[in-house]
Amino acid sequence: MSQNTNYYVSRRQQNWSRNQNTTRFQSAIKLGPVAHTVLVALMIIVLGLIYVTQATRTTGYDYEAQKIDSQIADYSEQKSELEVENARLTALETVKNSSVAKEMTTPANTQYVQE
Amino acid sequence: MKPDLLKGSRSRILAGIVLAIATIFVFRLFYLQVIQHNHYVALAQAEQVKRDRLPATRGEIYALNGTAPVKLVLNETVYTVFVDPAVIIEKDNANDVEKAMKDIAGGNVRDNFEDLLEKEDSRYQIIATRVTRTQAEKIKEKDLSGVGFQAVSQRVYPEGQLASQVLGFVNAEGAGNYGLEAYMNKELSGVDGRLETVTDVSDVPLTIGDRNIREPAEDGKNVVMTIDRNIQSKVEQAIADGIKRSGATDASVVVMEPNSGRVMAMANLPTYNPSEYYKVTDAALFNNGTISAPYEPGSDVKTYTMAAAIDTGVAKATDTYYNTDSIRIDDRTITNATKGHTGVISFQTALTWSLNTGFVTLAQRMGNGKEITKTARDTMYEYFHGRLGLGQLTGIELSNEQKGIIISPDEADGNAVRYSNMSFGQGLDATLIQVTSGFTALINGGNYYKPTVIDGYIDEDGVYQQKAASQPSKLAVVKPETSRQIKEMTHVARSSFSGIDKAGYYIGGKTGTSQVIKDGVYADDETIATYLGYGGSDIDHPEYVIMVSIHGDHKILGGSKDAMPIFTDISNWMLDYLKIQPKG
Repeated sequence: MSQNTNYYVSRRQQNWSRNQNTTRFQSAIKLGPVAHTVLVALMIIVLGLIYVTQATRTTGYDYEAQKIDSQIADYSEQKSELEVENARLTALETVKNSSVAKEMTTPANTQYVQE
Repeated sequence: MKPDLLKGSRSRILAGIVLAIATIFVFRLFYLQVIQHNHYVALAQAEQVKRDRLPATRGEIYALNGTAPVKLVLNETVYTVFVDPAVIIEKDNANDVEKAMKDIAGGNVRDNFEDLLEKEDSRYQIIATRVTRTQAEKIKEKDLSGVGFQAVSQRVYPEGQLASQVLGFVNAEGAGNYGLEAYMNKELSGVDGRLETVTDVSDVPLTIGDRNIREPAEDGKNVVMTIDRNIQSKVEQAIADGIKRSGATDASVVVMEPNSGRVMAMANLPTYNPSEYYKVTDAALFNNGTISAPYEPGSDVKTYTMAAAIDTGVAKATDTYYNTDSIRIDDRTITNATKGHTGVISFQTALTWSLNTGFVTLAQRMGNGKEITKTARDTMYEYFHGRLGLGQLTGIELSNEQKGIIISPDEADGNAVRYSNMSFGQGLDATLIQVTSGFTALINGGNYYKPTVIDGYIDEDGVYQQKAASQPSKLAVVKPETSRQIKEMTHVARSSFSGIDKAGYYIGGKTGTSQVIKDGVYADDETIATYLGYGGSDIDHPEYVIMVSIHGDHKILGGSKDAMPIFTDISNWMLDYLKIQPKG
């Protein structure tokens, strides 16, 4: 069973002006100074928690960024290694010593077409 | 009701003590938090904020493969593997580490491996160097305790020792030494970046705080050289063959484009492997002899004297003089090395047979016709030094270039005797690059180009940005007609050696044999043989200039016998490589 704790005060009682059809809500619960202090403290704690959560979330991104940076560095190293390997495989000495090059012969004569 | 403690009561004393302690706390906190604020903030930052250098990647060096750039010097990350012997002994896994290391990185593991692991008092012992990334990954997979890795960037030379003295090397501190690496060290090094940030215990940078700084590194420039790796390789092979043929100890070659000053090849033997520069015991091997070893150029310089004489109008190829195989200048008698062409002969004959008397005569004709007067000396100095660059730094982009010596006629030593010697290439010191650069001006129509080894750069997007076409640094150092006559004369001189060139091409050159000065006097048992020439389809289109020098300790080598075959070998190959069509 609900209990209605709201009540209305007449305008006359409030000394309000005419034609102002206004009502004022008034809670029956009265909060004392200790309750107010506790509420303020709670609000500060909640705000603090929100700040800590956000800060932690940012730090989480930092770890992710670090992981990605590390991956990039790793891939860069792999790329460099492959480039070095590619350069070694296409180096003149390698090409000269290849089986294809060994089977090539020097042309006996070269003919040029006159332009 | 106001609570009040009785005077002298224990509660009042306790309250007083509490108040006093609280006051001390307040003052102490004030001291720590307000007065010492900066000090503690600095301490906290020192603990939490990490300052790191973001190393710039050193620029790579490219050569040309025809017209396309190919990498000649690259960077590779390798690892130094170290161990903490104490941990390994404690965990008793020395055998595991040894097996893994030798299986995976055999050649890179230090020989005294066991001794290193026994050093219990040490916490850091390097057990392998230059371990590749793949090898390092395999070692990491073994999950060995007490083993650590340190990444190190090193230069890699896929073409081995090709053009090593042009390139130079990078030492353990990352500084370029010799060659292009030293000359362009600043551009190749780039600028390191800076990272200043709060980190966690694992050194992971965190974005909290308002003092984070991240300045990215500016990587070094990727340089493309004018050196063509195919020509360079051919030249090095030709030098090696020449040294073997002549029993010489050292030789050098420069190949240049006559219409741009671009150096297509530059080689010296003996040389060294730049990836193992630390094994070189003779530092002289690091020097690029073509730019840093001035010598008496000898008879090649006769082309310079001839050009000066033609250009000043005192002689031409067909003009004659009376040759007696000797000529007297003051108290000295100058003789010809080749004798027998006595009588009235042309200057063409003098050049073909390299007769000293002909060029001393030209020097006299630049004066009053009988003496090498101050006017004659001034003229020669103007051409040799001022116009054709002998005794001057060329400005080529390589370190340790030497300028040589050419004595001015204004100096006491710049007398007639010296200038008579200079007319046939003695009494002055010049480098191969100087003589070659001056000669290109003599055969390209008369414009002097500063020699260069830089063709362009590879930008951040990997696009090749070629330098603008070279412009002559000195215009019309000789007249076009002089240039033409020099080409004809050297072509005639070369034609006296029949059957050495491919048919249908226009090749010219001049031999040189210079005595070596030892302890201030000319040695009787040692010479430097040189050959300086050009080649192309016809007289109007010289495509390359080649200069060869070859020398052996206590060896008499000759320009035509020892240097010219190297020129011929390279020249005939160049005609095919450059796809030059014969027109003759």
